[in-house]
Amino acid sequence: MNAVTRTAPTGSIYDLGYRHYEGKRRGRWWAVWSLYVEGMRGVWGFGRPMTAKAAPFILTGLYSLYALIQLAFSASFSQAIASGDMTATDLASYHNYFAAVSFFMVLFLVAQAPELVCRDQRYHVLPLYFTRALGRVDYAFARLASLTTSLFLAMMVPMIALFIGDILMKPDTLQAVGDEWPKFLPAIPATALGALSLSAIALALSSFSPRRAYAAIGLVAYFLLMAIVPEVIFRVGNRAGWDWSDKLVLLSPTNVIGVATDWFCGVALRITPVNEGGPPTTLGTDAYVLAVVASIAVFTAVLLFRYRRISA
Amino acid sequence: MALIETQGLTKHYGPVKALEKLDLAVEPGIIGLVGANGAGKSTLIKILLGVIPPTGGRAVVLGMDVVREASEIRKVVGYMPEHDCLPPDVGATDFVTHMARISGLPRSAARERTAEVLRHVGLYEERYRQIGGYSTGMKQRVKLAQALVHDPKLLLLDEPTNGLDPAGRDEMLDLIKRTGNEFGIAIMVASHLLGEIEQVCGFLVAIDAGHLLSAAPITTFTARTPVLAVEVEEGSDRLAAALVGHGFKARTDGDCVLVAMENEALYDAIRDTVADLALPLVRIQQERRRLEDLFRDPAPVAGNPQ
Repeated sequence: MNAVTRTAPTGSIYDLGYRHYEGKRRGRWWAVWSLYVEGMRGVWGFGRPMTAKAAPFILTGLYSLYALIQLAFSASFSQAIASGDMTATDLASYHNYFAAVSFFMVLFLVAQAPELVCRDQRYHVLPLYFTRALGRVDYAFARLASLTTSLFLAMMVPMIALFIGDILMKPDTLQAVGDEWPKFLPAIPATALGALSLSAIALALSSFSPRRAYAAIGLVAYFLLMAIVPEVIFRVGNRAGWDWSDKLVLLSPTNVIGVATDWFCGVALRITPVNEGGPPTTLGTDAYVLAVVASIAVFTAVLLFRYRRISA
Repeated sequence: MALIETQGLTKHYGPVKALEKLDLAVEPGIIGLVGANGAGKSTLIKILLGVIPPTGGRAVVLGMDVVREASEIRKVVGYMPEHDCLPPDVGATDFVTHMARISGLPRSAARERTAEVLRHVGLYEERYRQIGGYSTGMKQRVKLAQALVHDPKLLLLDEPTNGLDPAGRDEMLDLIKRTGNEFGIAIMVASHLLGEIEQVCGFLVAIDAGHLLSAAPITTFTARTPVLAVEVEEGSDRLAAALVGHGFKARTDGDCVLVAMENEALYDAIRDTVADLALPLVRIQQERRRLEDLFRDPAPVAGNPQ
């Protein structure tokens, strides 16, 4: 059975011995692409046990559930709107969808971002990469690209569901595509930017711990604090008359992405009066878009810094 | 062309001197790198891979400078780390295929090479199972397979027999010997076990506390040396004293008397002396030097030529 201890050929046609490889060898970009593909498989649990597939697929399902429910009951919704019991703005649409159910995408990150970066540290796989054609910066960017693409795909599922649903609801399909398309199109770059921002934050924070659990706790803590603390300081500051406190809202990743999506979709800032605790009025939507771009820059820099220093 | 060449190679970690002015030139073959734990073996290997930069001096691997041409070196070098480096939740086939692709092999070639290399290291049906369920011996094989999958010109193996039982150890050493001798891949094996190095290597580099102790073909260490061991059942003290009286360099070592052989007359002198003293003679034998002597001070016989 054991070819290791078998030195002389025993006539088995299966034992061809060792053969040298004379074929093509690709370079660094192929390595980056391979790592990217492996990362995508890792996020969705392909090539891993069934349990690894549970979190990403269930969370994507839950994220899309809101859109599916709305589509299922769309007939009664349109009646309600027609009779004046509801307004069309109460319904989920491309621009407000993320803001409404972003919680599930935060959970998606908590579950899957550590999978990408902690596993390689925990099981010391990094030295194998860094002793090959792959550089440290390459590694960081490949991981970021994998998570961004995965998150983008997950976030696009309900968007596409809404798009298709709305079209099928109308009697004239071609006409409906023409009507819906301009509304749907800006959701794509908005979703892409949001996915990139969230991925950069999640990967940068996760990369500091080789333990998946600690990374997940860190992510939960970050997203919770950033959702609550600026809001609290803002309310306190509003009474105390601190004019800077409203800017802190820009620290909340889910908030800024929600409003930035409005900007892309050309919807006015969903301003609720300050005394109801909504986003402050002193900031324009542009500021939120800039905040998203800034968060991408900052956290990508943190990620690169981490991988520049990490020991292999 | 020398396989590995270093000049004044130095690596300091703060106040710790991991390597100190190492001058080395080795030819292709199976090279043993011995030293105690912490002697600087892993540091040397990592510098040769271009993973950590040297503090001073230079090193050339396969004609390429480790600092300037690190990425070129990595394409033709395979590395098996000392520690665990395998994720538990994938199969060996998936993992090795992935590593082959990272090394630059196209998709189908990566799959073919993985199948070949896993068979070469002796993994069969179990290669589809998750690595987490493997024994230490199987994991070591996967580690070797991932280092070998892109058909490197040089393999750097850091403690390849770590954690293996005696049978697994012999199999791993046999595998290394086969890979080095039959397939013409140069191998550098780092180990703290001299016995292993003796078994597989043709060339030996010994380092101690960052300093080069010796670098020479293994035969110079284990070759017959001009020392005769004379074993007697009793009276080795008297025999040694008598031989010294005849003008030979001799000392006792238990029941043995070790004599530096300076000319052919020694055999006759021993025979006559043993007969004169009426000692029960057991054997007369030329001593082989052992690798352990490298790390042992002083040399077995005073005046023994190095």
